[in-house]
Amino acid sequence: MSKQNAIQLSGVSKTFDGFKALSDADFTAKWGEVHALLGENGAGKSSLMNIVAGLYGPEGGSLFIDDNPVKLKGPKEAAKMGIGMVHQHFKLVMPFTVAENILLNLGHIQTAGLYRERLRRVSDDIRAMAKRIGFEIDPDTRVDQLSIAEQQRVEILKVLLAGAKVLILDEPTAVLTEEEAERLLTTVQGFAREGAAVILVTHKMNDVLRYADQVTIMRAGRTVKSLKPDSVSVDELIRLTVGESAPDQSATPGEREPGAPYLQVKGLTSTGPLRALNNLNLTLNQGEIYGLAGVGGNGQSELANALMGIPEPVEGQMEIVGEGDLADFDAARRRAIGIASIPADRYGAALAGPLSIADNYALGDIHSGRYGPFWYLKTRAIEADAAEAVRQFDVQGVRSLKQKAALLSGGNAQKLVIAREFKHPPRLVLAHSPSRGLDVKATEAVRDRLRAARDDGAAVLLISEDLDEVMAMADRIGVMSAGRIVAEFSQPADRQAIGQAMVNHV
Amino acid sequence: MSDFALKRPLMNRRYTLEVRQQMAWPWQALILGVSMLLGLLLSGAILVLAGVPAGELLNEFVILTLFDAQSLKSVLFQASPLIMVGLAGCLAFRARFWNLGLEGQMIFGAVGATAVTIWDIGSPGMRLPLMMVVAMVCGLLWAVTPVLLKLKLQVNEIVSTLMLNYIAINVLLHLMYGPWKDPKDAFPYSPKYDSFELLPELGNGLSLSIPIAIVIALIVLWFVNISRAGLYLRFVDKSPKVAGAVGVPVAKTILIAVLFSGALAGLAGLMVAAGQEGRLTHSFYVGYGFSGILIAFLARNNPIAATCAALLIATLFVSGRSLQVFYQIPFAMVQLIQAVLVICVASSDFFIRHRIRRVQGVD
Repeated sequence: MSKQNAIQLSGVSKTFDGFKALSDADFTAKWGEVHALLGENGAGKSSLMNIVAGLYGPEGGSLFIDDNPVKLKGPKEAAKMGIGMVHQHFKLVMPFTVAENILLNLGHIQTAGLYRERLRRVSDDIRAMAKRIGFEIDPDTRVDQLSIAEQQRVEILKVLLAGAKVLILDEPTAVLTEEEAERLLTTVQGFAREGAAVILVTHKMNDVLRYADQVTIMRAGRTVKSLKPDSVSVDELIRLTVGESAPDQSATPGEREPGAPYLQVKGLTSTGPLRALNNLNLTLNQGEIYGLAGVGGNGQSELANALMGIPEPVEGQMEIVGEGDLADFDAARRRAIGIASIPADRYGAALAGPLSIADNYALGDIHSGRYGPFWYLKTRAIEADAAEAVRQFDVQGVRSLKQKAALLSGGNAQKLVIAREFKHPPRLVLAHSPSRGLDVKATEAVRDRLRAARDDGAAVLLISEDLDEVMAMADRIGVMSAGRIVAEFSQPADRQAIGQAMVNHV
Repeated sequence: MSDFALKRPLMNRRYTLEVRQQMAWPWQALILGVSMLLGLLLSGAILVLAGVPAGELLNEFVILTLFDAQSLKSVLFQASPLIMVGLAGCLAFRARFWNLGLEGQMIFGAVGATAVTIWDIGSPGMRLPLMMVVAMVCGLLWAVTPVLLKLKLQVNEIVSTLMLNYIAINVLLHLMYGPWKDPKDAFPYSPKYDSFELLPELGNGLSLSIPIAIVIALIVLWFVNISRAGLYLRFVDKSPKVAGAVGVPVAKTILIAVLFSGALAGLAGLMVAAGQEGRLTHSFYVGYGFSGILIAFLARNNPIAATCAALLIATLFVSGRSLQVFYQIPFAMVQLIQAVLVICVASSDFFIRHRIRRVQGVD
């Protein structure tokens, strides 16, 4: 077991559309170790590893593989140098069998012989490798008939058979049950013991503590520190991951008297097999911002869908005091009550990209009859209102109201969504990651709108994976983990304690 | 925006393809026009190969059909049911419902209208309006099953509507060879309609079906452009996933558009029976459904463009018949020409969606 460096990155930067995803990041992983890369969502972990896997070219700095400087031209070349990455979203062709998927990836290696022969050879290799590492995978099964955990094993077999000696796993346990995760991590630990390098991209503290030999912590595009997990306390690890304190405490949350309860969620549970929501209880009062913090993938999207009226298999109560259950309301009723929804997926749930700004804006008031009866659409009234809203909410980049909404930048698209949802003073605001992907100015504009709604007496639910945002905005903070709320804090809240609640219950 | 260029080598490496976000509509119209013209030229070449003298093509297709009063009348006569099925196609396709059952809906419209004539329902004065209503209701009913199956159980409408065509054709054959056979000469068609059951001719010799078609085209135009349903349809068509999330009543919108589509197809069936044939026959329905899909496609689901496209196809039908008489060219040639036009227009989409750009300074 040699102890030289398998991967070394130094001074690496990467920018996307002006957003600095990585700035001057350093990273070293040695042969024979399980190396965890720890950090919150958006800290730059995946970007850093995508550079190692040859998917992104770095803007500055250098990459060494096995202590040799390299410049990768693409993922194929990275694979040739023995780097294999298993992405969070699997890259498998669903109707193909396991063997076909793996052969597809080995196309450049397995070239001799007829297709049938090559397929048979690959199947033999799969069986041999699967037996060696303890995966039960039949190469002739179609991938779409496998469970998520099995599909992940196929991905791992794929990179191993392509000759990977450096195995990068991006959030491998996010989609697994506890048992499956344990099994997987024990297996990959075995690879490291045999001399390979395993890099575990994760935000789960438990994975790090139990399986990693070394951990590098990232925050806001920088590598903060690299250390042995058993050399520091859990508190210290959390502090390094979530940072010292929120940069913005200008708002004075916590001094407000909360109003009467407005939204009461009781026993909300997913009916699907994954139990993304598990007996979630939540009370939201008028005139407060309730910030729902938590590591991504703990049921936030499912909760947002259920509340926003996007089809989601759940049972339980979502009662609006004095109005009834949210699940029974149609769009017209939701608008009439004053429910404003700001979903996380702007072009998947809020704006129709190919349609005009005016069309998108019109939906907000279409049910009230303001834009004419069913048989006549008052186009001029819509355009006048949309023009006014564009001005008032400072939506920039609008050359014409007939222009496609898809041509707006992220921040301006979000402002258009808010302009529509806030046209009438809302009584309940449901916002999921409302400032994701926005620049500082647009973020501030969005937050000001949420605060103003709160000050006018609305109940505001802010679901966000960005702890800084929750700390800066919320009057009360709930921490979501494994489909329910595991802890609640009132402001001023202890950041450290919130961080602990976020990770300890995973 | 055009950053995500598809860097595919085209001929040699000095060209790249880029995905276009938006193209000004005059350019789109120009590209469509050029591709249509190309399709017509190709069709001309095929006809020449089939034995039509090249010099006679223009004469046969344009002069003799459009500048001859009698032929022009037959073009318009032929056009009205085509306009109806074309509009029916536009409506359904705008709701992202691939209604391939236009033909079955048309047949059932005609069957319903004929039932009214056979059972002598209603006074002579009310007979024709009643036939129209029944034709529309029957066409609509033939579309109800597939649309409900799609909305409730996600059954693929392409299969269900297509299969219902076969059922409709066989029901029609059963009626023609069985209970509704004309007792006078025992040919497989229904007894002749009474004079008050026919779509009357207007003073200038044109059938009433033409003004009806135009009025319906205007109604469809209102529906998709001016009514609230039009806005809902745009959402369902362009962003079905977003539509539901932002409060568009998706299922209701699809249901209404498809039932409207079926009703128009039923009316088209009546126009053939009461406007052209004067009775229910089984030979004239085959092919209309396909033409309707094609007209909606050529027109990009725009009702005005569909009316024009229907006129073009009607011209093809009429000149196709004269080619049959004078040059012994099979009528199937008309369908071949339709297909050539569709392929040309479909490929023109590529140029509307992409930009071919010369790359400079790269080998």
